[in-house]
Amino acid sequence: MIRALVVDDEVHAREELAALLAETGAVEVVGACANAVEAIPALRRLRPDVLFLDVQMPAVSGFELLGMLDAAELPRVVFVTAHDAFALRAFEENAVDYLLKPVEPARLRRTIDRLRQGPGGPLPAALAAPPLRRVPCLGARAIRLVDVAEIESVRSSEAGVHVITAAGEHFTELTLRVLEERAGLLRVHKQHLVNVERVMEIELGGEEGATVRTRSGRAVPVSRRFLPGLKQRLGI
Amino acid sequence: MRSGSSPARSTAGSAGSGLILSVASPTLHLLLALLEATSVFMVLFYLLGRFPAFDPRSGVWTPTTWLLLWAFLSTVSILGSYLGIRLPGGVIGNSRAVASILAGLLGGPWLGLAVGGTAGLHRLTLGGFTALSGAIATTSEGLIAGLVSRRFRRDSGGSWLPDWRVAALVTAAGETMHMGIVILVSRPVADSVAAVEVIGPPMIVANSIAAAIWTLLMRDRLQLLDQVAATSSTRALRVAERTLGILGRGFGSETAPEVARIILEETGAGAVAITDRTTVLAFEGIGGDHHRAGGPIVSPLSRRAIERRELVFADGVHEHFVCPLSPACRLDAVLVAPLVVDGSIVGTVQLYEPRDRRFRSVNRSLGEGLAGLLSSQLLAARYEEAKGLLTRQELKLVQAQVNPHFLFNALNTVAAVLRADPERARALLLHLAAFFRKNLKRPAELATLREELEHVGAYLEIERARFADRLRIETEVDPALLDLRLPAFTLQPLVENAFKHGLAQLLRPGTARIRARRSGPDALIEIEDDAGAYVEPVGGEGLGMRLVDKRIKNLLGAEFGVAVSCVPGELTRVTVRVPLPGGRA
Repeated sequence: MIRALVVDDEVHAREELAALLAETGAVEVVGACANAVEAIPALRRLRPDVLFLDVQMPAVSGFELLGMLDAAELPRVVFVTAHDAFALRAFEENAVDYLLKPVEPARLRRTIDRLRQGPGGPLPAALAAPPLRRVPCLGARAIRLVDVAEIESVRSSEAGVHVITAAGEHFTELTLRVLEERAGLLRVHKQHLVNVERVMEIELGGEEGATVRTRSGRAVPVSRRFLPGLKQRLGI
Repeated sequence: MRSGSSPARSTAGSAGSGLILSVASPTLHLLLALLEATSVFMVLFYLLGRFPAFDPRSGVWTPTTWLLLWAFLSTVSILGSYLGIRLPGGVIGNSRAVASILAGLLGGPWLGLAVGGTAGLHRLTLGGFTALSGAIATTSEGLIAGLVSRRFRRDSGGSWLPDWRVAALVTAAGETMHMGIVILVSRPVADSVAAVEVIGPPMIVANSIAAAIWTLLMRDRLQLLDQVAATSSTRALRVAERTLGILGRGFGSETAPEVARIILEETGAGAVAITDRTTVLAFEGIGGDHHRAGGPIVSPLSRRAIERRELVFADGVHEHFVCPLSPACRLDAVLVAPLVVDGSIVGTVQLYEPRDRRFRSVNRSLGEGLAGLLSSQLLAARYEEAKGLLTRQELKLVQAQVNPHFLFNALNTVAAVLRADPERARALLLHLAAFFRKNLKRPAELATLREELEHVGAYLEIERARFADRLRIETEVDPALLDLRLPAFTLQPLVENAFKHGLAQLLRPGTARIRARRSGPDALIEIEDDAGAYVEPVGGEGLGMRLVDKRIKNLLGAEFGVAVSCVPGELTRVTVRVPLPGGRA
C-alpha cells in the first residue's frame, strides 16, 4: 500500500480525494491537513510515501511549502489544483505529476501506476526551491508568519528550532538546514544561525571563538569553525 | 490749352514752344516726374497691403474685394495720368500703365481689362491727339498682363505670384507697344513720332522700374505674413506636442498648471490661466500672487465666456480687464477662450497682458487656436478613456462569467457533497446555476439591491459550502432599501474580493458581513471581512473595485462610489455609497 498525506484547505476536497484514493485500493490515506503549516509536522510525524498537495491555500501556498521542507524529508509530490494557468504550465514543463479538481478516477489510476513504478527523481529545481521569505511559527494561539528580514538569529535545542526576532522567540517546524539554505541565514555555530543584516558587533576571543551581538543586543555564539565564513560575509 | 485747369503738369517753359524741343531735357524731366509718381504709388500700395481682405496669394476673393480692387487700381491708374507731364499737343508722359498691368498680373485678364479700360476711358476725357491711342494702349496692357498672369498661374498650378522680372518685362513690352500704337493711331504721324521720341524712353524705363518695385513690395509683405503665420503655427504645434501627454492624464488641478506653464512659455504672454466651469485650476505669470489656483471664477469676462460659450476679448484699449481680486493688479487685457468638448463647455483658457504691454495679435489668434487644440486633445483623451473603460469592463465581465478557479472548486465541492448528502449537492448545483445565469446576463444599467443580493447570495452559498466551518456569514439589510437602485454587478466583485484576498488567506476561521443601511440622504452598503489583509493595489491590480467605483460615479454622480478602510489583521471594510431615491435634491 502507498501511504499518502492529503493537504487541502477545503474539507470537501480532502474528503473527496480521500474517498477516491480509497476506491483505488492501492493507497492508504494516513493523514489530512487543512493548510501548509499543519503539513510540516505531519510530514515529519507520518513519513508518507506521497503528498497530495493543493496549490492555492491560505497564508502558505503549496509551492511555498515545498521550499520549507528539507529535501531529505520530502516524499513524492502530486499537485492537486482546480485551475491555475501558471501552475499548470510549470507542471507540464517540469513533468511533475498533477491532478485537476474535480479528479477523474481514471486519471487518478494513472498517477497511482506511476507512483507504483518506484521512487521518482528529485523535484525540479524550478519548483522545489523558491526562496523563503516568511517563516511559519507557532504562537500560543495562532500561527505567525515571520518575515525573514525581521529574524536576528535562529537556535536549535532539544525542544526544537526557535526563531529569534527583536520582539521575542518563536517556535518553528522548519529545520536549521532549510533556514540556512533557503532563507539566506548564515550558520555561525552547530546550533545557531544569524541574519548578517542584523549583526551589530563581533567580540573576538574566548574559548568558543567569538560572540556576535545583534541589533537588539542578544548574544549569539560563533564557533571557531564558522568564524572565517562570518568574517568573509561581513567583509572583514 | 487749359493750362490753368490742366490735368497734368506742364513742362516749365515748354508751353507754346511747339513739338520741337531739345530731346534731352524734357526726357530727363519726364523720367524724374515718373519716378516721383512711383513713390506716390509706393505709399498707395502700402495701403493696399493693409487691406485685410486682400491676400494676393489666394486669388479667390469676394465680389466686394474684386470691386474694391478694381476701384482702387483704377484710381491709381487714373492718378498715373495726372502725375504725368503734359506736353504740348495734349501728349501726356504718364505712368497709367503701372496699375493696369499690376491689375492684370494680380487678378487676371478681366481685372486687367477692367482697370485698363477704366483708366483708358478716363484718358479719353483728357483730350489731346494721343488720347485715343493712350486709351487703347492702357486697356491692351491690362489685358495682356492678365493673359500673361493666367498663363503663369496655369503652369504653376494656380498659386502664382508676379515676379519683379516678369512685371518689368511685361511693362517694358507694354509701353513699347504703347508707343507703337501712338505712331499707328495718332495723326499726324510726324507729331506722333516726335512725341514718342520724347515720352518713349522715360515711360518704358520708369514704369518698368515702378512695376518691378511694386511686385517686390508685395512679395515682402507676403513674406512677412508668412513669417507671422509660421511663428504662430510653430508655437501652436509646440504647445500641442508638449501638452498632448499631459492632457491624456485628464483635465484637472493636477494637469492644468503644467499646461498653463507651457502656454506661458510658448506665447510669452503676461499670464495664463486655465479654469474649469467654476474654479481656477491654474494661474501662471503676472498677478500669480493674488490670482490663485483653487479659487472660484469671479471675473465677469470669464463668466460671459462660459455662459455664452464664446470667445471674449478685452483688448485693454476699448475694453479693460478689471481685476476683481486686487486693485493693484497690473493685468489689463485678457482673451478668454472656451474649451468645448462634445458640445459642452468644460472650462476656459485665458491669456493676460499687463497695462504696459500691448496684446499681440499673434497671441490673440494663437489663443483662439489653442482653445480649439486643447479642446480636441481633451476630446481625444475622453474617447481613449471611454474606450479603455469599455474594454476593461467587458474583460471583467468575461472574467466574471467564467472564473475557472471558482467554478472547478465549486464542482469539486458538489462532487464531494454528493457522496454523503445528495439533496444538499442538488441544492448547491442550483445555486451554482443561478450564480452563472446572473453572470451571463448583460448588465442592465441599474439593478435593485434585491437583485444584487440574490446574485451575491448564490455565490455565498457556494463559498459557505467550500469553506464549511471556516466561514461565518452575517447579513444585515434594512428591508426598506431592497428596491434601491445601483449599477448591476456592483456587489459581486466586492464580495469576491473579500474572499479571494481576505477570508481565503486566513488560517483561522473568518467572518464576512454584508450590511445595507441609511446614512442621511444616502444609502451605505458595507462588505466586511475580518482578515484585514487589504493592501493598496499596485499597477493593474484592484481593477474590479476601481471599475465598480467608476461605474457608480458615471451613473450616479461623482459624490458616490466605493471607499475602503482597513485595520491590518482585523478588518477590511468596503463601503459603497449610493443615493437614496429622492434623498438628495
